[in-house]
Amino acid sequence: MAASAPDTPFPKAMRREGDYLVIEWSDGLVGRLTWKQLRDACPCAGCKDEREKPANPFRILKAEEMVPLAPVNMPRIGRYAYKIVWSDGHDTGIFTLEHLRELCQR
Amino acid sequence: MRPPQGPPPKISLPGISHVVAVASGKGGVGKSTVAANLALALSRTGARVGLMDADIYGPSVPMMMGVGCPVDQTVTPFPLDRFGIKLMSIGFVVPPERAVIWRGPMVDRALRQFLTDVTWGSLDYLIVDLPPGTGDAQLTLAQHAPLTGAVIVTTPQDVSLIDARKGLEMFREVRVPVLGIVENMSFFVGEDGKRYEIFRHGGGKKLAEAASVAFLGDIPIDPRVAECGDQGEPIVHRYPDSVVAKAYVALADSVIQQLAAQKQEPELPEVQM
Repeated sequence: MAASAPDTPFPKAMRREGDYLVIEWSDGLVGRLTWKQLRDACPCAGCKDEREKPANPFRILKAEEMVPLAPVNMPRIGRYAYKIVWSDGHDTGIFTLEHLRELCQR
Repeated sequence: MRPPQGPPPKISLPGISHVVAVASGKGGVGKSTVAANLALALSRTGARVGLMDADIYGPSVPMMMGVGCPVDQTVTPFPLDRFGIKLMSIGFVVPPERAVIWRGPMVDRALRQFLTDVTWGSLDYLIVDLPPGTGDAQLTLAQHAPLTGAVIVTTPQDVSLIDARKGLEMFREVRVPVLGIVENMSFFVGEDGKRYEIFRHGGGKKLAEAASVAFLGDIPIDPRVAECGDQGEPIVHRYPDSVVAKAYVALADSVIQQLAAQKQEPELPEVQM
């Protein structure tokens, strides 16, 4: 009766297909998330804070922001999450399975 | 912004069958005492057991297991061996009077080193004595170590149960199986043979029922537990026939049963990039 994970579907397979991350869930749902969608939903404290601030009309783009963002790697974190390492060096967002599932269901 | 980093190296412990964290939400519930005595009770079944002290800021394993510190690694390499248990603690390298004043990343690094640089060899169980709370040590282990399960320690009072629940929920959120709850300091048996429930009783069991996890057992209070801890010889070793030692043997049996009954959690799939 060891209590384990929350009762959510589990990803069976995950792959990059160009601009998309494709997740095949154990209950048959196949989610297709764009990388932009994922970056916009980054759960790290810095990105959350950024999203809550009013947009800065005078923001000057840095060199690394001039090129399209791409994922470099997506390592597993324990048994509960993934981290996305982005081409601009950002790597602090930990996407839990629940969060990924919610994004897939939107 | 710093350049993209690769994934942190995942810790692999192929020689260790079960890595069991002993945790609580609250400090002072006897977590280290439970961890040390559980390790000894498991060892009495003939199993090979290690005890890793993950409490970097307040290590208790050196005193509880009677190890004088600091330890000269060139003479006695890590892990140390005491009562047949393999041991590692930050207290072996930092003198007891010195405080460890570290931020999270240093704690993370120390714990990784404990797991990967210490030659644990083949073990049936590695018991990890966690600090109280739901902080850096817990996250490091949940994110990077192959934890088999967690045992949550509480005392019967509500103030402890509230925090035990938080600890339990943390393990659930990070998908580490909770093997069950232990109620420590559960009751006292007087010289008249009567049972006195000093801090009330049964809260651990209720919490286990409410959270749908196993209740692993209750450990009575005995002044000799503290005396043994301070003298560096846990009660399971010093007084193996005491009521408390027997309760620990029963706890070890429950833990073994829970580990055997545990459903194997699937590994997350790798992302094909």
